[in-house]
Amino acid sequence: MTLPPGQPVPSAVAPPVGQFGPEDFPGALRSEGIVLKGITKKFPGAHRPTLRDVNLVVDRGEFFTIIGPSGVGKSTLLRVLAGLLEPDEGTVSIFGEAPREASRSKHLGWVPQAPALLPWRNVLDNVRLPLQVNRRAGDNGLDPMEILARLGLEGAARLLPAQLSGGMRQRVAIARAFAISPAVLLMDEPFAALDELTREAVAHQLLELWQSERRTVVFVTHSVAEAVMLSDRVAVMGQGTLLPPLPVPLPRPRPAGVEDAPKFHKLVHQLRHQLKEAWVAGP
Amino acid sequence: MPAPEEVFTTPAGPRGAWLHPAHWAPPLATFALVLGVWELLALHNRYLLPTVGSVIAQLAGHPGTYLANGGDTLAEALPGVAISYAVALLLAVAMSQSRLVMRAVLPAAVVLNVTPLIAIAPALGIALGFGRAPKIVLAGLITFFPTLINTIAGLRSADPQALEVLQTVRASRWDVLWRLQLPSSLPYLFAAARVVVPLGVIGAAISEMVSNGTSSGLGWYINTWSSNSQLDLAWAGIVTLAALGLALTGLVVLVEDRVLRWRGFR
Repeated sequence: MTLPPGQPVPSAVAPPVGQFGPEDFPGALRSEGIVLKGITKKFPGAHRPTLRDVNLVVDRGEFFTIIGPSGVGKSTLLRVLAGLLEPDEGTVSIFGEAPREASRSKHLGWVPQAPALLPWRNVLDNVRLPLQVNRRAGDNGLDPMEILARLGLEGAARLLPAQLSGGMRQRVAIARAFAISPAVLLMDEPFAALDELTREAVAHQLLELWQSERRTVVFVTHSVAEAVMLSDRVAVMGQGTLLPPLPVPLPRPRPAGVEDAPKFHKLVHQLRHQLKEAWVAGP
Repeated sequence: MPAPEEVFTTPAGPRGAWLHPAHWAPPLATFALVLGVWELLALHNRYLLPTVGSVIAQLAGHPGTYLANGGDTLAEALPGVAISYAVALLLAVAMSQSRLVMRAVLPAAVVLNVTPLIAIAPALGIALGFGRAPKIVLAGLITFFPTLINTIAGLRSADPQALEVLQTVRASRWDVLWRLQLPSSLPYLFAAARVVVPLGVIGAAISEMVSNGTSSGLGWYINTWSSNSQLDLAWAGIVTLAALGLALTGLVVLVEDRVLRWRGFR
């Protein structure tokens, strides 16, 4: 949500409306997880800043999605959160830590656009990769075989990435991010390269894993329907800044056929409208 | 620029595919054509080119001579290539880790690359004596730059998104190098090896040709019999040199297939 600096943080999940009752919503998602204040980032040679005074609060355990046209700064914002980029102005707090501290403590899981698996390592060794580095952060990771099993990949543990389908590779990338049991999962358009049915299937598996692990997720996507299906809140990004996030008052776990519910379509329509305005305005 | 494996490898096929005529017939036809033209030219220019038969007769009649001289050339080429490879690898790693080292070493490497090394071969002989040292040094120098440049390109070829995955868990530089950059560079290292290993043999042979006091090795053998117009002997030496390069390239490809087995699944 866009906040002026210093403003008290309102609750993240909007009260349920419509056909779903309050019991459908997780109640313990109120504490502050990620706080961005006044984030501005301008790349050398660019005419204007990619990020302009971005303010955002993501609650602990929340699934927060950012959508927006290409080139508006979604991935840049995610990289600032991950500590891969330093903002020119503003502060980032991830459960009270700066991004670099959070990554040093292995509190951040990163899922890039492409699975980025190491082709010479088998699936299990790819999932183990983040556990094998920066051992000073301690060994609080999950059992890689268990995560693979939960993502339906137990039979593929000894296969090489080249032997997997695109959907399987992306699931391995998710398993790799979950392996260190991160407090925050940052996902940069992870399903962009998948066909529609595969991305739906992988998204459902991600939801199941998130439902049981309850990590805070910041997710970037181009797909409005995917954003509504996965998220507690969705914010549209346009011209380097975030519009006020839209709560997604759909029950958890998402019931089968929720995509056909009128409320789902209404949310998709609302977001699409915001997205169009952002698109017309340009990056 | 195409990746090295696109440049140097044939499309992967199923095991045993080389037995199929489509695999071995085209190169065989090319060789047959070349030998046919050679024979035709040799029959009309006996003082310029020996016949294929006379070269084969030389090789078959005195295999020990060619094996011994080939062994001497190899004994100079292989240490040269090995030392050059090791130094280039270490320097490329240092250059990939430090801009200062990059700035310090790269210009010197470029100067070395543009220096006509064949021209300094006699000088090396004077400086390093008449033994194997100048040949080893020339074989090393001639292979150094391609290895260095390929290794730098290989280290830089690491997937940037995989690098970000490692950076978000604060992997050390050593971990990034050991777990990502060095394995990523292996296809480039093997591509370099396929070029520089036979090049090292040529370097050693050239050094043998121009170094005073040399009395063994294929370079010396070819030079000696060319000067004496014994063309069948000289050409038998040239064929041995080519066979040596071919065998070494095959060996590199064999090791490459073993080490980079994961590429076979592409």
